[in-house]
Amino acid sequence: MGGREGERAGPEPNMRTRDGRKVLTARDLLGVPVINLVLVIVCLIAVWSVISATIENPDRYLPSPLAVAISSIDMIEKGVLPSYFGDTLIRLVIGSIIGLAVGIPFGLLLGINRTVSDIFYPIMNFFQSVSGIAIFPIIVIWWGNSDQTVLAVIVYTSFFPIAFSVLSGVREVPMQYLNAVRTMGASRYRIIRDVLIPGALPHIATGARLSIGFAWRAVIAGEMLAGREGLGWMIFTGQDADLTAQVILGMIMIGVTWIVLDHYLLRPFEADTIERWGLIQR
Amino acid sequence: MSIIDNVWISIQRRFGRQRIRKFALGSIPFIVLIGVWQANSTFGWLPPVFIPELGAVWEAAFTLQEDCPSTGAIFAMHNDCLLTNHIFSSISRVALAALIGLPLGIFFGILAGMNRTVSRFLEPIGVFANSISGIAWIPLAIVWFGVGWMTTLFIMLNTIFWLLFFNAMLGVRGVSKVYEQSVLTMGGNRWHLIFQVYLPGAMPSIIAGIRMSMGFGWRALIAAEMIGGTSGLGFMIFTSAQDFKIEEVFLGVILISLIWIATDRYLLAPLEKWTIHRWGMVWKPE
Repeated sequence: MGGREGERAGPEPNMRTRDGRKVLTARDLLGVPVINLVLVIVCLIAVWSVISATIENPDRYLPSPLAVAISSIDMIEKGVLPSYFGDTLIRLVIGSIIGLAVGIPFGLLLGINRTVSDIFYPIMNFFQSVSGIAIFPIIVIWWGNSDQTVLAVIVYTSFFPIAFSVLSGVREVPMQYLNAVRTMGASRYRIIRDVLIPGALPHIATGARLSIGFAWRAVIAGEMLAGREGLGWMIFTGQDADLTAQVILGMIMIGVTWIVLDHYLLRPFEADTIERWGLIQR
Repeated sequence: MSIIDNVWISIQRRFGRQRIRKFALGSIPFIVLIGVWQANSTFGWLPPVFIPELGAVWEAAFTLQEDCPSTGAIFAMHNDCLLTNHIFSSISRVALAALIGLPLGIFFGILAGMNRTVSRFLEPIGVFANSISGIAWIPLAIVWFGVGWMTTLFIMLNTIFWLLFFNAMLGVRGVSKVYEQSVLTMGGNRWHLIFQVYLPGAMPSIIAGIRMSMGFGWRALIAAEMIGGTSGLGFMIFTSAQDFKIEEVFLGVILISLIWIATDRYLLAPLEKWTIHRWGMVWKPE
């Protein structure tokens, strides 16, 4: 599986102050100009309301934006929306932390030692193709519809992208650096600590973003299939109970949460890491 | 020198020492895994409800197929050929989604890449659509189309369209202005630009996008079949899990992975390699 190139959209302007710090423009944060975005959102809502007003039985097929807003106020008042949201986020954080904590050392090990990588690469490749969603029924049989099941799927899905990224990151550290440090008599431990890990950091950052993206999908799918409370569960039960407004609200929250997470947290982190540790020879 | 030595040397010559070493090392975990699996059913560490016997998975394929009257009936999708029917219905959905989704994605992607006004509208929608992962659309799709073919097809289409749209758009944007201007200077019109500059220039990016989107689409399709389908491999493993027929679940999971590995390795990866070789722009004018 390749990277999610699809998201690397828009030119990145690089404005800086005199002391070299980045100036954050709205464009930096959203990838598109703000006025533009507002215009698109207004247009979309307008089109949505028109369609919703013209079709029969809009409450079932496409509730109006107003209905969705009312449903959100209702759910916030009852306190269910914040609790679902919190549950989902906690699952994402715990799952991806475990996934990264397992995946990074494993990737390093594979990158450092040829023989180890020759042994484990094919089987990792195989299990990477076994998508986390497909093994879901098996894990449900093992552990039932529990939080453990959802967590296992999240860890499983987030493990592979980071492990492969770290592996390629370590491999791409130029031999000159290794040789230079070796010539100066560095130990194996020093080589790993001072050359390989810093050299692989940009890849680790990219891999972490990719992993968390996969984990996010797994959280939603896991909640739907295992029936644990959260945003995924909210949209799934909303469909069951014929509350389409709740489904659309859940979808919007899923989308917006990921955009905010990606643009404000993961992408700046990735960019900073690449800027600080990227091996661009000057 | 014995015959065995001769054979061994000729094998090494034929395949290369490094490749034999890699293959041998790489097969160790697989052998260990299968060995442990077999040992588990022999010594009964975990009950067969959790881990089926190795043989049972193999048998499950035939049990599912046993009512199938003949080989011809497999392709006629006779009602009793359970396993092959599930496989065919998954694959035909992929094919149909690819047939509709790929041209649409490429078309809108190129349009957005060429035209700032179009991209100004489609890009934010695309960012949003991509961040609502394909799976999150399933409940709404069930409301709209009911459980069945349309829902699963819609999920797959939705997933591949937006990913491909982005890759095609970025591909077109990445085409150097020099090519565009030189075609215009020589009196080319818009069609020349599209077919001689943008499409070939964006080709490597488009093909990479096809490979990626099919990967994501296949995962989304399996999930869609589980929740909102009435046939297909995802449906099969989900219903088998509900009946605690774990050998069928294992069979389904293995088939899902094998189908994807085969498609990726023998169709998409060679296609990508060939396209980059044929259309990739190694020489970039400054």
